[in-house]
Amino acid sequence: MVNVAMVGAGQTKYGNHPLGLKGMWAEAAEQAFASIDGDLEPQQVDEAFIGSLAFGGAQLGNTAALLTEHSRMKGVPVRRVENACASSGYALRDAWMAIKSGQADIVVAGGIEKMNDLTPERKRYWLGVSGDTEWERLAGLTFPGTYALMARRHFHEHGSTHDDLVHISVKNHLHGSMNAKAHIQKAVDFEKAASGFMVADPLTLYDCCPTSDGASCVVLAADHIARRLTDTPVWINGSGAASDHLALHDRPSITQLAATQQAARRAYVQAGVSAGDIDLAEVHDCFTIAELLATEDLGFAAAGEGGVFARNGEGRLNEGDVTINASGGLKSKGHPLGATGTGQAVEVFQQLRQEVGNQRQVRDAEVALTHNVGGSGATCAVHVFGREVA
Amino acid sequence: MDEHLVWQGYLLSHHDAFTVVQSPFTLNGTRVFGADSDPTTLAVAALLHRSGTEPVDSVSVPQGMDSPTLAAACDVVVASEDGLDACSWDLMLSDEAVVVLAKRGADVSIPHLDVEVPVDAQEHAAMEQAWSKELHPQHVSQGAFVSEAAYVEGAGARLALEGQRTRGTVVWPPRFGDHGSAESTNVHRTGEVLSWTALSAAGAPSEFALRAPLLGGLATVLLHLHDGPNGVFLLVDDEDHDITMGASVELVLRRLYAQEGFMRYGLKGRLV
Repeated sequence: MVNVAMVGAGQTKYGNHPLGLKGMWAEAAEQAFASIDGDLEPQQVDEAFIGSLAFGGAQLGNTAALLTEHSRMKGVPVRRVENACASSGYALRDAWMAIKSGQADIVVAGGIEKMNDLTPERKRYWLGVSGDTEWERLAGLTFPGTYALMARRHFHEHGSTHDDLVHISVKNHLHGSMNAKAHIQKAVDFEKAASGFMVADPLTLYDCCPTSDGASCVVLAADHIARRLTDTPVWINGSGAASDHLALHDRPSITQLAATQQAARRAYVQAGVSAGDIDLAEVHDCFTIAELLATEDLGFAAAGEGGVFARNGEGRLNEGDVTINASGGLKSKGHPLGATGTGQAVEVFQQLRQEVGNQRQVRDAEVALTHNVGGSGATCAVHVFGREVA
Repeated sequence: MDEHLVWQGYLLSHHDAFTVVQSPFTLNGTRVFGADSDPTTLAVAALLHRSGTEPVDSVSVPQGMDSPTLAAACDVVVASEDGLDACSWDLMLSDEAVVVLAKRGADVSIPHLDVEVPVDAQEHAAMEQAWSKELHPQHVSQGAFVSEAAYVEGAGARLALEGQRTRGTVVWPPRFGDHGSAESTNVHRTGEVLSWTALSAAGAPSEFALRAPLLGGLATVLLHLHDGPNGVFLLVDDEDHDITMGASVELVLRRLYAQEGFMRYGLKGRLV
């Protein structure tokens, strides 16, 4: 079967971006095509998938067609992919499958969200629309509340503590402080991160990702084309995805995400690797507890040991077996919902090609993973990448 | 003989021929509704208590009470205008926060109870004003919300914990795909806290934006219901909460929020 590689990747800076949907997408797509070593024009793309929740403030229906129009891809078959915060993780998977199936050779996957052009009142309506509207939202829950329930239960079942979450926050802020594309480029010390404003007990401001604008775009190619375009393709050796109950209360356990576990298992099997082989993981830390759970569900820590993993400083840049969220993660790099999944892939593309260009570079990284979660775990996409094809 | 008790957060007096439910809260000596209570929530408490001792088949409902909610929450027939004469029970609303459920023709007297929980006049007025704004037809959603149709579709599960029993397992809320093979059941309204959170006003959904600041935030629990399923519920607004893991909780009917001129009711937790 055909192998699939990333040959180009680009993204905007995350944060309060001055441009709107069209401008941000144009910037990310232009950077992605400019990063391709060989010659490839946007018009040569066979298919495109663009992830977005369509947070509001701009085009809602037919968003993808508008965006291709503003990125020199007019006429390319395109659609918006919506799976909440995992929208572009799934766009990436759809793009990978399009090439794997033999129906396309060159495919664009991307994502975008404009979140800061709304009034605070309207923004509050949108935050949490991807949780269970009928039950959780009526119970006063948006995602800070939902993840707070998970955190407290993990503390109760496994003896983890809020201090463990603070370690994650400090690590990701440190990584993000070295990332020029990050929303929050500021390191924080333990004391400051431990004393944030309480948002949803036990989660404070320093446990929560910011509300970011941003766009990201990657260009995938079938192996026979990829090898013509670059000497350093980044191979997508595994793509796993899974879904779960939308509502937290329907799940047998709230201290693990079954969708992550299933998606990871599938991706690892396809790539022929295990968790121990991963050098760099970009995981979905929309809240610090989400990273703690991910370290367990992805197999970096044993079940229930995510707190110990964080406490021991595992995941810090170039310090242990695996670097987690070298970009700063959602916590520091930012979380423009629909852009996050392919934004993680952009980071992996640059890391595996040793193109980061500063001390944020993960040394000698050969195998990397991205982990993109929709909502509180109703959907998940995991991809495994390598400098070598599996 | 009258029996007086605290029932679902209210003061309930049981008489052979009638039930009186009074709000515990008072303002200048007058009984007033708590932060998330109204005539409908008091009426539900009366109906549920009464139906535990004798059947209440059909009831007349005065203006100011939400008939569909009463029917869904209590499994009673709410009399239409044409059927009023045939009713065996009447719900009545006093000038204060007091509701009476009486057998037709019963000689009703409202007992004077010494229990009074004074409320702050300014806080009470602010809450009343917030509810009034929420209920305005032009107070509309800007995004995801539970429409009237969605609310009605799930009313039985939301207000009376209607669920399904499939191969010995209780499923709640019920699943459409299982309707043919599952037996209907009502989940008991008690459970234990599996987890909880207290949300700051800024962390609450915008549906609660007008009242969450007045309440100092919201408290939500994930409960393991005693029949098996789990669920998430707000805690009642008008009681202090000292929540602990494993704490026992009963579920009572209260107001949730209003939008587009339509009140959404639901079950909320009370620590017991």
